[in-house]
Amino acid sequence: MMAFIRPRLRKPLGIALAGTVFAAAWALRGGDAWQLSVAMVVTVLVSAVTTYVRAGEDNDDGALAGSRADERQKMLSLRSRALGWNFAMAAAFIGVTIGVAVKATWWWPFLVILAVAGFGQLLGWSTYTTAEEGTTEDADTGPQVRSPAS
Amino acid sequence: MRNRVREQRTQREMSQAELAAALGVSRQTVISIESGRYLPSLPLAFTIARFFGLTVDKMFDPDEEAGT
Repeated sequence: MMAFIRPRLRKPLGIALAGTVFAAAWALRGGDAWQLSVAMVVTVLVSAVTTYVRAGEDNDDGALAGSRADERQKMLSLRSRALGWNFAMAAAFIGVTIGVAVKATWWWPFLVILAVAGFGQLLGWSTYTTAEEGTTEDADTGPQVRSPAS
Repeated sequence: MRNRVREQRTQREMSQAELAAALGVSRQTVISIESGRYLPSLPLAFTIARFFGLTVDKMFDPDEEAGT
């Protein structure tokens, strides 16, 4: 489906879609929250337009925003996300530790974040090591000793 | 690791943008490779070497520091 959407439009449309769904959730909540959802739609639209403009720039950020990143730019993005993931995990660990220490009732969401991240990492490890190492049939255990008769 | 990308490109009087377009990478990546800050993947290294009509070991020299 993504192939039908122009690369420059993919990220802005993704932002617009995700933001609209989130704003709809606030609207569904009812009460005074509908005002917040209107503000959210405006923010999302501004963000989507900004991303579209950035996607037209001739730099690494523009290439990533425009879904036309090459191998180096994809690696930059991957490393940045890994750093962000490390920060999030450290924050979640600090949160759950403090929550437990002060007998707070809000400690468990931090634990859920840690558990989901840990599961995701294990899934990634399992998926990518199998994909790159192959099966046991691909393993070369060195030269086979043959009997003189063979 | 030293490489001969800049040397080969200037010999052919190409701009970094033209080389980037020919290799299918960004201009920023060509700049990073030329300055030795980024080591390309093996497929990209082959693409670069073939583009200039050289072998990979002629294009990239692991025994020399970048900028020497």
